[in-house]
Formats: sequence, C-alpha cells, structure tokens
Amino acid sequence: MFNTATPRRWRRSLATVAALGAATALLVGCSSGTGASGGTTTITLSMQQTDVKTGDPTTWAIVQAFEKKYPKIKVTVTGQPVAQHDQAIDVGAQSHTLPSIFWLNSADVASKLNKSGALLNLAPIIKKENVSSAFSAAALAPFKSGSTQFGLPYQALVTGLYYNKKLLSDNGLTPPVTFADLLHIATVLHAKGITPIANGANQSAYAVWSFLTDLDRFGFDNQIKGILAGTSSYDNPDFLKFYEDLAQLQKAGAFSTDVANLTYNQAVSAYSNGKAAFLDSGVWAAGSLQTSSVGADTAFWAGPQFADGVGNQKIAMNVVGAPLAASGSLKAGSPEYDAVSKFIGFYYGADGQQIFADNGQPPVTTFSPKIASSATVFQSVLDAVKGVDVPLTQPDQYLSPASQNAMYDSIFGVMEGQLSPKAAVDSVQKAITANKG
Amino acid sequence: MVWLSARWKLLIMVVPTLAFFTIFVVYPVFYSLYYSLTDFIGFGTAQFVGLANYSTLFTDPLFWTSLRNTAIILVMSVLVLIPLSFLLAILMRRQFRGARILRALVFAPGIIAPILVGLIWVFILDPKFGLVNALLSAAGVASPPIWIGGSALGPISIAIVFIWSTLGFAMTIFYAGLQLLPPDVMEASALDGASRFQQTRYVTIPMMRETFAITTVLVITNVFKIFELVYQLTGGGPIHKSETLVSYMYFITFTSQQYGPGMAFAVIITILGAIVSVGYLFLLRGRRGVNA
Repeated sequence: MFNTATPRRWRRSLATVAALGAATALLVGCSSGTGASGGTTTITLSMQQTDVKTGDPTTWAIVQAFEKKYPKIKVTVTGQPVAQHDQAIDVGAQSHTLPSIFWLNSADVASKLNKSGALLNLAPIIKKENVSSAFSAAALAPFKSGSTQFGLPYQALVTGLYYNKKLLSDNGLTPPVTFADLLHIATVLHAKGITPIANGANQSAYAVWSFLTDLDRFGFDNQIKGILAGTSSYDNPDFLKFYEDLAQLQKAGAFSTDVANLTYNQAVSAYSNGKAAFLDSGVWAAGSLQTSSVGADTAFWAGPQFADGVGNQKIAMNVVGAPLAASGSLKAGSPEYDAVSKFIGFYYGADGQQIFADNGQPPVTTFSPKIASSATVFQSVLDAVKGVDVPLTQPDQYLSPASQNAMYDSIFGVMEGQLSPKAAVDSVQKAITANKG
Repeated sequence: MVWLSARWKLLIMVVPTLAFFTIFVVYPVFYSLYYSLTDFIGFGTAQFVGLANYSTLFTDPLFWTSLRNTAIILVMSVLVLIPLSFLLAILMRRQFRGARILRALVFAPGIIAPILVGLIWVFILDPKFGLVNALLSAAGVASPPIWIGGSALGPISIAIVFIWSTLGFAMTIFYAGLQLLPPDVMEASALDGASRFQQTRYVTIPMMRETFAITTVLVITNVFKIFELVYQLTGGGPIHKSETLVSYMYFITFTSQQYGPGMAFAVIITILGAIVSVGYLFLLRGRRGVNA
C-alpha cells in the first residue's frame, strides 16, 4: 500500500518519463556512423578483422593516407571476426543500416545482396574517379551483373605455402617441387619432432588455402560447373585422388596432432618461431613474416605438382578474392556518396596501390608498384606467381557459405585423420546438393 | 491520497516489465518460429517452406551429434555437479580455519567469463602442450588421452570444464539453503541419536528438496546454453564432433548463413530445454505427491 501525491502529479510524472523515453528513442534512431557535420563528412568502413590496424595493415594505411589527403573526410573503421562481420552485414542489409563501405565474404554473397537491392552500383564511381581502366576485365567480372558493378576486388588473393629455407637445409632437405618431395619432407621432419606444415582449424575453419589450390590441380575449374548444375559430382575419381594424397600427408605426420585445437594465429606463431617448416597462408602474411625471427629465411611456394593430378600442374593461386561493396542507401550527390567515391578512387588509384605494395600486398589493379629491396618475403611471393597460369578463382568462391564450410571441413577432416577421403568428397557433395550450390 | 492496491493500478505497474518481456523474449521466440518456416537467408524476402528446415535438421547427422554431446554434458553435470556442490556446501557450513578463503576459491571460477574459462582450460587440456598430459607423460603414461581435438573425449572435457566453472555457483545456492534449515530440527535429530550421515540423508536432503529442484533446473538450462566454452575450447571440432546444440546452431545460422534451419534449431532447443526442465519439475512434484 502506497500513499502518493495526486493523480494529476502521477500523470505528469508518467508523461515526463514517456517524453524522455521518446526523446531517447528518437536520438538513438537518428544517430548513425555516417553523416556530415561542421564541414566534415564521416563514412564507415567495416572489415572482417577484429583489429584492422594490425590484422589488415594495408587497409589501415590506406585509410590514414586518405584522411591526410582529404582532411574533411573521416573514415570510421570497424572490424569483427569473419562470422560476426557476416552476421552484422546481414542485419545491416535487412535493416537498411549497412556501413558505407564493407568487405563481403564472396562473390556469391555479394550477388545475393545485389539482387536484394542492398548494394550500390559502383560503375559510375570508378568511371568518375578515372580508375575503371586500371582494372583487368577478370578483376571486375565476378562482381558484375549487366551494367551494375556491385563490388570491387578487395585484395589480390595469392595463397600457398611459406617455407623456412634454413630449417629445410639444416635437416638435409631441399625446397620441394612435387607432391612426392613434400611427402618426403613431411616424413623426415615429423621423425625429427618438427611440425612440417602449420595449420589451425579452431575459429579459422577456412584456413586451408594451399589445399584449395591443390583442388585446382585436380581439374576443379573444369568440373565445378557440372557439379553445380547437377550433371557431375564432387564425389569423382579425380577429387578423390586429391583427398587420398592429403590422407597420405596426414599419415606421414605432416600436420600437428592438435591442428583441431590450434587457431590460424597459433599456426602463424608456430611457423614464425621456427617450430614449423611450412605455413599455409597467403600474401597478407608476408609483411608480418618479414619482421619475424624467420623473415630472412622465408620463401614462398605456390604448391606441389601432383604426378596423379589433372591438367596443368604449374599453377598459382593469384586471383580476385572477396569484394568490397558500398551501401545501396547512399544517394548520388550526397556528401557521403562523394566521400565514398573519393575513397574508392584513392584505394584503387596509384597512391592506394603503392600502399598495397609497401605493406606486402600485390596491387589489385594493373598498377606497377615500387618494391623495397628489404621486402624479401613479399618479393618471393611475387616471384612465385610471376608468369604462372592461374585458376579462374579460388574453389570455395563458387559455393554458398554452407557448402564452403563443408569443403573446409572435408579438408580439415582428412588432415585431422577424422574423415576418410571417400567420406570427405561425399560430405561436400551432400552439402552442394542440399544448398543448391 | 491515492491507493495503489487497486487492480488496474497494479496492472499498470506490471506493464513495463511485461512490455520488456514481450519485446525481448516473447517476440523473438515467435520471430524465430516464423522464420524457421521460411527460406530466409539473412536479407531479402523470405519464402514459406513449411517444415522443410526441420526435416533438413533431422537428417543432418551433426544435429544428432550436437544433441548427443549436450545430453552427455547434461547427464554428467546432473550426476556429478549436483551431489558434489551439495557435499561441498555441507563441508563449507562447518566452521574451520580457512573456510571463508576456501568458499571464495570454490566460487571464483563462477565469476570468470566463460570465454576465459575456455581459454584457461585449453592450456590445461591441449593434448600437445596442455598441463594434464604433461603431468601424465611425466608420470610415464605413454599415450595420454586426447582431451580436446579428438573424436571421443571432447564432450566429456567440456562437461568437466562446465562442472568446474559452475560448481561454486551451485554450491552457493545449496549453502544458502543449508543456512535456512531450522536448527531445532537438526538438534532434535541429534538428540534422537541420528548420525551425521543419517541427519543428512533423512533430514537435510528432504528439507532441501526445493533447493535441489531449483539448482537442477538452473544447471539444466545452463547446459542448454553452453556456447562460449565450446567456441574457445574446441571450436566445435574436430569437424563439429564436439559441438553442443547452441554452438552448432550458431554455426548453422551465422557461419553457414542458413537462417531458416538456424531458427528451426533455435525453436528445437527452446522446446527441448522447456521439456527437460518442466519435465523434471513435474517428476519432482509427482514424487512429492507420492511421498505426502
């Protein structure tokens, strides 16, 4: 039982609370990461790294240089791990609150978002910023639908195996060329208690880049259209051979016994500390490996040639990977639209692409960068892929996220000794059938 | 003077809580239920697909793996955690030197964020560099078990870590229950010549039936919510063999971006959690009826 003031005061109090609540809701509703105030325009850039500054130093450096060149534009950089980032983009697309510019997982995801009207057509922007001629047709094709350019290549996807030359020579081994060489190295190093290939599946179930390239050495590019159309199967003799070779590596002790528990960063750490001879990674790691204790001894290998492979074995994964896209909510002529336009012009222009090279990344345009003589790891990546044939794209880029995960699981499953080669190909085919791609 | 005991005024006072509950609990449940019947991919228009998502889940062997793992953790937790925390509470009730420090130590894991608990236990259970296997190897065990990352012991390891992290919380509830027991009943049983064991068996446990029920339901619901431990400890691996219901639902929904099946999964978890918890309470009530 409470005795309070008059009903009028009661109602007044309730009205005050309601008004405050409404005002708060209004403020929350109106607040946004983007906008223009006091002559400064703010745009948002959302990436798939928790800490963009350290995880993606190239993008970070481009943002810093861009803000220096355009002091009236502020770029708010946010980052989350891949799964959370994907989730945030889905929510943003559904609620029309996408960041100004953002990373997308694959051409497949970008295409679906484009169909839902969530993405901005970037064709007028790259034309206005005079960077459209800087792209090769192959670099733009995966993110194009008719005359709509719904994405632009984020970074060149160059993947393979880094290796420690000194560690190999100290153990009487030479850098491998064929799969048989790699198998021999794995056997010798495992017997000596050294981890041959550093990999980590925990929270990085996609970290199987060099093995995805190996799939291309078993005719993936020729088979995938039929597999997606349902006229052929992932469970075919050629792919089965790849998984059998992978199982041979596993039996030879090529992978750490706790690969399921290790994260990708722990795998990088194992390699950087000289505890592993090879690291399954990509060009993005060149900069950090250069400054590690094994930087001077590190070289890059595009991957093995298989005696039982299919088609050209001298290939390297040097393709367009995931795209950058912009929010479809941006209105042409608005300050945010102009700021995004300028950012894209800077990112793909000479200044941005030179920053790529300065941070150990190959340009995604046809720009020829100057490379510091001290960047030996990065140079070895460029040397390994120079003049070498490349697949159309990385195999997982053809698939839906669910089938991508099945593909990663199939490779890690064999690597961890948990799946037989037959079960591995079967699991991917089942996922492709269930998800229609 | 205004009397607030009138029914309509009480209803007004309940409205904020009811609104909050509706927006953040009832609405999401029905929202999930609706999308579980569609092919929603996270954006765009959703098409009605009936029970197809449920059918997909029931034919996914990993769904059954995650259900089995959750059941293992649930059974281990109820069989080990409840008696252990009760015994610890009885022990802590006794006055001895260092009892307070011991109580704080037992409760300490309960205040560590589950993600950190997982991280700590990686360094204890990792088969290659973990403390447990280092000790076992030093003791001469040739092939120490693969606690995490193998195909068999993952859910058991998760259960052990869950028990460790929840023990202090459960013990505290029992400890509070023990403090509320009327001392005259205990004195009377002691005068009647009951031993300590007999007092516990025939006086304390029957009088704490409600506390046991509450603690068990809390443990059950917490088991159905295990996510961070799996995420940090095993990542659900190898190849999803240590997934629990919630961690695999997260994988399906957000990593594989299959929102329809993911929402169906969420609905199933909600129903299973409710069945187990409410079923346990009904069972308990039935027994009470029999004993009365």
